[in-house]
Amino acid sequence: MAATESPTAGGSDHHPEIDWVAAERSPEFRELIKRKRAFVVPATIFFLAWYFGFIILAGYAPDFMGEEFITDGFTVGYALALSQFIMTWGLGWWYLRKADRVFDPLAERAAEVALQAGAEARPGRFERTADERTGQAAPLPGAPRPGPSRPNRPSGS
Amino acid sequence: MTFFAADVNELALGIFALVVAITLGITYWASKRVATATDFWAAGRGLTGVQNGFAIAGDYMSAASFLGIAGLIFLFGFDGFLYSVGFLVAFLTVLFLLGERMRNSGKYTIADVLSFRMKQRPARAAAALGTLAVAGFYLIAQMVGAGVLINALVGIGFELAVIITGAFMIIYIVAGGMLATSWVQIIKAILLMTATVVLTLFVLGEVGWNPVDLFREARAESPEGASYLQPGLFLSSPIDTVSLGIALVLGTAGLPHILMRFFTVPDAKAARSSVMWAVALIGAFYVMTTALGFGARAILGEGATEAVGTGGNLAAPLLAEEVGGGAGTVGGDLFLAIIAAVAFATILAVVAGLVISASGAVAHDVWSNIVRQGHDSEKEEVWVAKIAAFAIGAIAIAIAVIGGEGLNVSFMVGLAFAVAASAIFPALLLALTWRRFNTTGAVTGVLIGTFTSIALVIISPTVWPGPDAEGGLFSWYDLANPGIVSVPLGFIGCWLGTMLSREEVAARSFDELYVRSETGLGAETGTGLTLTGRRGAPRTAATAATTTIPHP
Repeated sequence: MAATESPTAGGSDHHPEIDWVAAERSPEFRELIKRKRAFVVPATIFFLAWYFGFIILAGYAPDFMGEEFITDGFTVGYALALSQFIMTWGLGWWYLRKADRVFDPLAERAAEVALQAGAEARPGRFERTADERTGQAAPLPGAPRPGPSRPNRPSGS
Repeated sequence: MTFFAADVNELALGIFALVVAITLGITYWASKRVATATDFWAAGRGLTGVQNGFAIAGDYMSAASFLGIAGLIFLFGFDGFLYSVGFLVAFLTVLFLLGERMRNSGKYTIADVLSFRMKQRPARAAAALGTLAVAGFYLIAQMVGAGVLINALVGIGFELAVIITGAFMIIYIVAGGMLATSWVQIIKAILLMTATVVLTLFVLGEVGWNPVDLFREARAESPEGASYLQPGLFLSSPIDTVSLGIALVLGTAGLPHILMRFFTVPDAKAARSSVMWAVALIGAFYVMTTALGFGARAILGEGATEAVGTGGNLAAPLLAEEVGGGAGTVGGDLFLAIIAAVAFATILAVVAGLVISASGAVAHDVWSNIVRQGHDSEKEEVWVAKIAAFAIGAIAIAIAVIGGEGLNVSFMVGLAFAVAASAIFPALLLALTWRRFNTTGAVTGVLIGTFTSIALVIISPTVWPGPDAEGGLFSWYDLANPGIVSVPLGFIGCWLGTMLSREEVAARSFDELYVRSETGLGAETGTGLTLTGRRGAPRTAATAATTTIPHP
């Protein structure tokens, strides 16, 4: 494996037929990135803010953190620390759901479009029958193409 | 050199032997199944999300977490729990920013991802340097800690304890590679979680099943009174607290032995679900450190301060002995012995993970790709990996034995996190997200991040002139944790190096890395080796394409 690998390639499955620049510009890929950013960027800002808010309070306001919360012995600091655990579990679970339902199907669409554009640029690379090729309008790289919105996936885990 | 202290705990030794026998059996089984480089470093990419989640938990929760945090809480109250929070929240950084992308674009090591669109030799050398720095500091800290703990818990001499730990670590990896390492980590995670749950239930039972009473009784047992339940007893400098927080929350996302685990699953979906399993387990564990630490304070009381040792490392084992029935009773002895054995398994799993990541840096990055430039055979790569693992293990044993138990290791884990956060995390994140980023930027970023971390830790007041000295080496610098300075410097290094150089290839092939890392196109496939040892038909590129892409 190592012997045949070209030094600049990262994967064993190189896909030399794919035009990566076009794939990156395809609306499918842009849509994936847009949707993913719309979740990951605010979520990252939120968890960093919540965590560093807690740390800064712990550093600069120890007395406030030591105040009683609801009942004697339970401090504001400990309640905020517990909220970090709940936040981590909650945000993680939310991301997982979002990824399964939104990001994965979009990623598969983007991959599909890139592969297909590559296959059309080099006919014969994938052995496709004539009616497969003519049965469908050749999608321009970028043109949204009707297709299964939830393609089959290999089961991951 | 005394190998055996007078009071060897035979019961603990017996349980140790049982744990070791099980792990050696697994290693023998794994050794029959590890043939290719993918088997050796990535367990054939056949782990499920659940298995990898347990393995991440086993890889991550070191004896420093189990014994160290319980001890810190016992001694300093709330401040100890700050570590628990940081260690968990860090996984959101991994989940959102790196986990899946690593799986999609890497092969065996973090250098695969960093060097994807860069000049191979300098970029790999930089990544290997960062990996070896983090793994090296962490490994030596763990080895010395192992020697001290096993000495205290079982009564075996320090040197022998270090040599035994190192020997098992080497056997697991040389014989069984990542497959054996993964199973050792999974078993350790199960043992650690079970022991912690049982201990927590015993502690809660002692305080009448009201968790808040735990805090009230702990406060009553502390001479600090109400201050015990608020921050400031251990981390007295606010800016240092923030600096520690930065290193914890970003450093985890730069730990090579944790990131390497994402190469052991078949796809990004499994990588993602393994992070969530790890988050569930690690979170549950760190919540329970409350019961271990505050419980030790409430139940053992101020009188135990001498017995728990300087870092408080023996607080959890002594707590187990106490709730089991007390010293000298059957229950107390048994519980203490079990906790000691769990601590030993904990150390073994972590050091094995560290050595395999370091062997990847030496064999895959330095030997195969820098020295041989990809012209070696896969067989050679695996052989070099085994030799590297053996050598790294032997060097770590030698340093730990020569340095001895007096070696100040408390700063070394902090140093490992600082290098991970300041050198590895910025370079990896920018390689995956910033189009303009290039080889020069990656190399300057890693070098600046690594060396400022090391330099700042060396001149920090606790290291030089020493913990007991008044003030630091320099009057203007008194931080114990370098993160708040070194992480921004690491990012600035990446940016500056990039801006001062021009490299067309890196920007052009960014599109390829970007599309690959986000969609999983062309991601490395497994060898069909599953964790249960069945080897299915190897997935070729063509079958991988047909399973991912439905034909219209």
